[in-house]
Formats: sequence, C-alpha cells, structure tokens
Amino acid sequence: MNQLKPLIARIEDVKIEAEGVKTYTLSTGFPFLAEPGQFNMIGYPGVGEAPISLSAIMQDGSFKHTIKSVGRVTDFLKDFKKGDELFFRGPYGRGWPVKKAEKKDILMIAGGVGLAPLRPVIQIILDRGELFGDVSLICGARNEKNMLFMDEFKEWSAKISVYLAVDEAVRPEKWQHHIGLVTDLLDRVRIKPERTIAFICGPEIMMRFICRGLMMHGMSQSSLYVSLERRMKCGIAQCGHCQHSGLFVCKDGPVFSYKEVRGLPDGVL
Amino acid sequence: MTLDIGVTMKRPRLGFFKYSCCMGCSYFFAYVHKHVHEVLASFDFVFIKLLSRKGTPEGPFDIALVEGTITEAWQVDELKMIREQSKKLFAIGSCAVIGGIPAIKATAPELEVEKKVYKNLSPIHSIKPHAVDAYVKVDGYIRGCPPAERDLYEALTSVLTGREPDFPQHSVCIECKLKGNICILIADNMPCMGPVTNAGCGALCPSMNRACYSCFGPMKQANAPALAKKFKAMGISRDDIIRKFTEFGADTIEFRKAVETVYED
Amino acid sequence: MTGERTFQKFKRLIPKKAFLLWLDSLKKDYKLIGPVKTGNHAVFKEVDSSEELFMEYGTTMLSPGKLFLYKPNEELFRFTFNEKNPSPIPLPQGEGARGRVTEIFSSEKISVDEIHSMPEKQVIVGVHPCDMNAILYLDRTFLGAVKDPHYEARRKNTVIISLNCAYVSENCFCSSVGTGPFLHAASGYDMLLTAFENEYLVEIKSRRVEELFGLRGRGAGNAELRLKAEKEKSIKWKFKKTVDISGLDNIFAENTGHPVWQRTAEEKCLSCGNCVMVCPTCFCYDIRDEMSMDLKTVTRYRCFDACQDIRFAEVHGGNFRQRRAARLRQFVTHKLDQTNQYGVSGTVGCGRCITWCPTGIDLMEITEEIQRYEPA
Repeated sequence: MNQLKPLIARIEDVKIEAEGVKTYTLSTGFPFLAEPGQFNMIGYPGVGEAPISLSAIMQDGSFKHTIKSVGRVTDFLKDFKKGDELFFRGPYGRGWPVKKAEKKDILMIAGGVGLAPLRPVIQIILDRGELFGDVSLICGARNEKNMLFMDEFKEWSAKISVYLAVDEAVRPEKWQHHIGLVTDLLDRVRIKPERTIAFICGPEIMMRFICRGLMMHGMSQSSLYVSLERRMKCGIAQCGHCQHSGLFVCKDGPVFSYKEVRGLPDGVL
Repeated sequence: MTLDIGVTMKRPRLGFFKYSCCMGCSYFFAYVHKHVHEVLASFDFVFIKLLSRKGTPEGPFDIALVEGTITEAWQVDELKMIREQSKKLFAIGSCAVIGGIPAIKATAPELEVEKKVYKNLSPIHSIKPHAVDAYVKVDGYIRGCPPAERDLYEALTSVLTGREPDFPQHSVCIECKLKGNICILIADNMPCMGPVTNAGCGALCPSMNRACYSCFGPMKQANAPALAKKFKAMGISRDDIIRKFTEFGADTIEFRKAVETVYED
Repeated sequence: MTGERTFQKFKRLIPKKAFLLWLDSLKKDYKLIGPVKTGNHAVFKEVDSSEELFMEYGTTMLSPGKLFLYKPNEELFRFTFNEKNPSPIPLPQGEGARGRVTEIFSSEKISVDEIHSMPEKQVIVGVHPCDMNAILYLDRTFLGAVKDPHYEARRKNTVIISLNCAYVSENCFCSSVGTGPFLHAASGYDMLLTAFENEYLVEIKSRRVEELFGLRGRGAGNAELRLKAEKEKSIKWKFKKTVDISGLDNIFAENTGHPVWQRTAEEKCLSCGNCVMVCPTCFCYDIRDEMSMDLKTVTRYRCFDACQDIRFAEVHGGNFRQRRAARLRQFVTHKLDQTNQYGVSGTVGCGRCITWCPTGIDLMEITEEIQRYEPA
C-alpha cells in the first residue's frame, strides 16, 4: 500500500483549549499506537495535509490532536464538529526519549502550543510517576488566553511542579503567576545538571534561549531535547521539505538532542 | 440573463467587476473556459457587466472578481465599496493583478501620456495606473492574460468549500521543465521571462517555442535585475529589455528595478 | 535486480549494428527508450526503432531517471465525494465498543481510491554513468525504509542499459566525484556498454538481461579489457571542470555566512529552480490537491518541487529560507556537502545545473571560492 494513503478518523470530541486552539479526540476503529512526541499528517481532500504532533495517546486506542488554526489546513479544520471525519496518516518520526529519562529528573519547558507535544509525556508521568525523579514543567504563553490545558494544571500539580509565565496578562489582577519570559523561570527550578533531562518545545527562538540558559545551569547539550517544526509534505523522508543539512526532521526528528541540531543552517537554534 | 438550472441550494452570490481593460477576463469567465456550465450552476450571478445591462452592482457578495487596472478616481471609490460588501475579493487577469497592459503608461508622467492621446484634456480624469491591491485588500490573485484556468477554479472552489485558496508562487521554469521543454533561453538564446515570472500558465508560450513575456507578472522576490543583465549580455538592446519588463509589469516594483538597472548601465 | 541466483557475467564484443537489431527485437515486449537527437540537443524518449537512437550524444537536459522512473507528475489518490449526504455513521457506544480491533473506518461521504501504476515494461538504453549513479541515488530515497510503490513498480519493470562515456561535455565533472566517465557500480542495472570502433563491449550485469541477450558475438579477452581501461584513462584527461571533493564535508555548513552566497544571490541567482529541475538526483516533491469544479472529486498528485521556491521551507509565522541566498546555499549544500544523508555525495557530476542555469551560476566556482577562503 502507498504509505501516503490517508486513513479516516472520526472526531469523537472537540474541546476549546485557548484562543483559536481546539483539541480533537479521534478514533480510527483500530488501536492507534504511538510514542510521545510523534506526529501525524492531518488533512482533508482539497485542502492538503499538515504535520501535527499528538497531544494524547489514549489507552483505548484513540488519540488527540491539539490544533491552532494558523494555516490552510488547520484553518479549515477549525469548524469541524463531533461526528465529522478527517483524514490522517502516521504516526511518524522519533519522539521524546522517555526511556532515557527514567530515574532522572525531567524538566519540561513549553511555549504556546508547544505544550501539546509534551502532553503525552505528562500523561506517562501522571500514570507512572514512580519511574522518574523530580518533574517540573515551565510553561509560557503570550497571555492567559493563549495558555493551553489550563483546566488540567491542577491535576498535573500532584506529581509535577508547574511554573507558568505570560508575556503580558489580560487581567493582571487575577493572574497569580509570573509575567515575563519563560527563561526567567529557569532560576526558580532547582536543576541538578547531572541527573536532569530537559524536553523543550516552542518557538525556535525561545528554544534557543532556553537551551543556552540551561547550559549555563550546567546541563550538557546532549541532555537537552527539542522538538522542531518544519514544512512537511510526506512524513516519510522523501519529499525533502524538512531537510536540514542531511537530517530529515520528519524521520530523524522531530525530537532532536540539542547537540544534533545546534547551529543547524537556516535555523536559529 | 436568467439562470434557471433548478439548483435549490443557496448559491454564493458572485459579482464580476470590470475596470480599465479589454473585458477579456469577463469573456473568458462567461464563455471560454472548460467548466462554464459548472460555474454557472454553482454561483448566483448577481452582477457581471458582460451579461447584464443592469446599472449598479448591489451587494453583498460572497465572492467578487475584479478585472482591469484602476486608472480613474471613480474606480477607486467603487472598488472600495465592493470590498466592503464582499466576503472574498479576487483580482483576475494581469491588469487587476499587476497593472497589466494599461500600466504601460506608468512609464511616463501622467500628463504627458494624456497629451499624447487627447487633444482636449478637460474631460479626462485619469490617474496613475495601479493594480487592484494598491487600494484594497485582495484575497487571492488569478494571474495571467487570459487568466489561468486552474487558478480560477482554485479560487471558485475555495469559496464553495470554505477553504483558503492555494496559488503557485514559483517560476514558470519549473512548469516548463515539468513539461520537458528544452530551455529556449539557454538553447536558443531567446529572451525568455520565465525565470522571474510567476507560474500558473503551464509554460504555455515556451511550450510553443516562444519566449515568455511575463503576462503572469513577477513572482515573489523575483530577481529581475539579474535577468535584465543576462538579456543585455545576450545582446538584446536596451529598449527591447525595457519593453520586456514594462509590457505587463510596469507597475511592479520588481520589474521597475530591472528597468532601472538597464538605465544605470 | 540483485539477490537473484548468480548469473553468467559474460563480456562480449557485439557489432554495433547487431546490437541495435537486438534492441529492436525487444520491442515486442518492451518500450524502447533512448537518446534521440532533436535540433542541437539530445533527449531521452521512446523510439519506434533503434535507427532513431543517437548513441553518440553528449548530455541531455533531463535525466532518464527523472523522466521514466521518478515521474515529474504522479497521480496518487482520487477522493470522491458521494452525492447524497449519508446518515452519519453511528458512533460506537460504551467503553467496550472502543479499543476493539475492528475494521479500519471507511466513510460513506468520501471514498479514497489509490491509483496504482501499472508500468509497461521498458528498456532504457544509453544511460551515462552519471545518470546511472543518479538512479542509484534515487533508489536510496524511494526504495529506502519506506518504499514508494510507483517508483518501485517502474524500477522493477525497467531494464537499464548503461553506456560508458566517449565524450566529455563542457560542464561535466563526474571524474572529480567518482561517478564517471566509466561506470563502476557493481549492481542496480542490467548491462554496460563501452563503444569500440565498430563494436560494443557488452557486459552483462543482471540475470534477466542474461536471459534476454541471445547474441554470441566474440568473447572479450584481456586485450579488449585493456583497451577499455585505456579508453577510460584517455578520456579522463579531457575534463575541463574539476573539483576537489576531499574536505568538502561541512565546508558549506560552516560557511553559511560566506559572502559568495549573498553576492551570487544578488547578482545572479533568479530563484527560478532550473538547477533543481534538471538535477538527476534532486528528489524533492510537493503533494497537491486539485478539486474538480463540480466539487465531486479531488485528485491528489505529486510533482517535483524545488528548494528554490520561496514557500519550500515556509511554516506558519516564518520561513526557514526566506532569503534567496539561503535557498541557493541549500541547493549547493545538498549537492556537495550532505554526505551524512545517504553516505554518498548528492552530486553525480553531470553539470546540468551549470549548463541550464540562466545566469551561469557555477557550483565549481562557488566551491573553489569557499575552499580558498578556508584557512589552510
């Protein structure tokens, strides 16, 4: 079968997460298996396809995508309702090295919708927290209206130290967390460099400063992991759009250690 | 004109507006292209000058198609009104997209041009020619002279299905090579504008062994000055090079830069 | 092609005329494709008779691999929207219904048809070593971990007869990158020809062609093989373009800010994408959807794409190669420096990108400039 052939997924649920961001729960009729950090090509005939990270991989075989409507494909999907069908293929790529993180402290840092690809990791930590050391999550967004999964933070706090930051608050009197950059929050987490592994996802420029910041905290490049976003048409290392000096982001990534992608031509990391 | 095809579904309201041009796009739209029947059946033709003698267009419109260069002040006012009344507005044809043939007059001061053509200037109220997007926001460009069929259908189907349209932004060369044509610029030393011209025509002229004359206009970020220099090195006269870049694209920044390069040398 | 039972790798000398007649005899089962002279140029196309073949050609604009194996346009799927709005499929009820292994969903609203290519059997004759190496390069993309069914089917149905070069064209530099002028690849093709005075030295490289090839000719001995080696040696002197590929690894990645990129992008590069389109190893494609005007069908097809297209690396809110200089560098780097991708150089030294660049950008000149710049 042609690997580019899309399959039908049915929307079981739609949830509004933030301004212009919705989470779609999808089922396919067969148990969908994937690693945290992997992505699917989501699309619809006539509109095309776009790579979207999985924001949850459920026990019952369904899965979730948290999608911000920003492009042709995602904009088209914004009006989809429960019971509608869309097309997908995947999962593709190399996800977060969760196995490697066992027995270690995990530091997750997310910016904006960058929190979505980290959510499956958070799920694993909530389910099997005993496998890991201290887990912290630093999460930034433009303002509180753009912050994803606000209603879940409480549940997460049971096992994860959650730190939040917004660039500016819409209602500052109600916002009890940090106002400013995510990088400011690095100092609040007690980082033990030798036993910490960092998972970072957000705008590339943010990841650059986070990585530099964490290295100043003594972390090594190979213990920092970033998830990259690139234009993709195939997801199977053929179409060439996501190539960066020999790497196919779709196949060799989207999650890379900072060591692999630091100074990548055309990126800003 | 009546459209009685028996479609009960509420069809999107379409307006087709014409400014300074040959009306070829209207003609193409109403009679010539491959799927005239489907287009007629899919839309409620509220206004199209070629087919209706009715006076003023009455909005609102789900889709407005605008052909022609804007060369008179009243056109600016009407265009702005149409924009306000339309959900989607597409520029169609070279004139509306890049200025096109009427924009040739942009190469000389307005008054000089007027004097050249008319004896009595008192009834003439023309302004500097500009493409439609100089005055209003445009949702997409259906380029070409005549306009590209594929792009036209893309615009129309995008409105019918509620998605964003997608138009090519690469050069004509890519389409030309996909067709397997031997490059006439290199092989036959013909001054072909393909390398700086936006695709969409399917490399129509080069496939017929004719040099592209850029009716689709410059592609985004086109390096027209470098091509002008290449033409010069090929032995094309200065005037001919200027004509190449001002035939359709006199109102475009990209091609004006090429003209300036030729003057500088 | 490979991994079959061993075959007799015989080498024979066959009179050219007899060889061409043998090609004609294949026509009953195969499409015959080869170089044909049109005007001042040669192109690869299907011929009715071997008489049309122009085996003494120098180079073609488009390579046979990207015309007859990896197609410029390929229809992949057809989506059909069904006329009536069907009643929605009932959602599975209760927990038990979910997670069960049931059938993959199908939709009543939209059906998806995969377009299978049923390629005819074809023989491509006269493929120069650079183009043969380019096909082996495309194999890495399309027959790698994920196989492309269209490419695979064509590759299986195609007999490739390679021809060692007797002429060096103006921009050839295969001798510098080890892909020519004589072919040394061990497998992946069916037959190798070397033109002698009135004969071809025919070397059998696959079992299927051993079975197809009935001509006896006369066996080639040491003398003939020595003659072949001499021919290779003498042609190697004729190259005008050379490049020193030793130490090229990472030289481009480390010199992203070198002035040559910006200068070439300003003065010469048109971002037209000709270099990519004529390159025999450029494999990038775009997938596009086209909706019929009656909104009933969508055709999803793929076609060659070029990294010179401004939207090639565009994502929402940014473009990784917004600048023309960055796109130019991406092409050059992929050709000469991305050996970490497949373990081989991305160039086969055919020189097409130089020949068909409207403004004559020369990869060799760019490389030399950067090499000179490198502190020794």
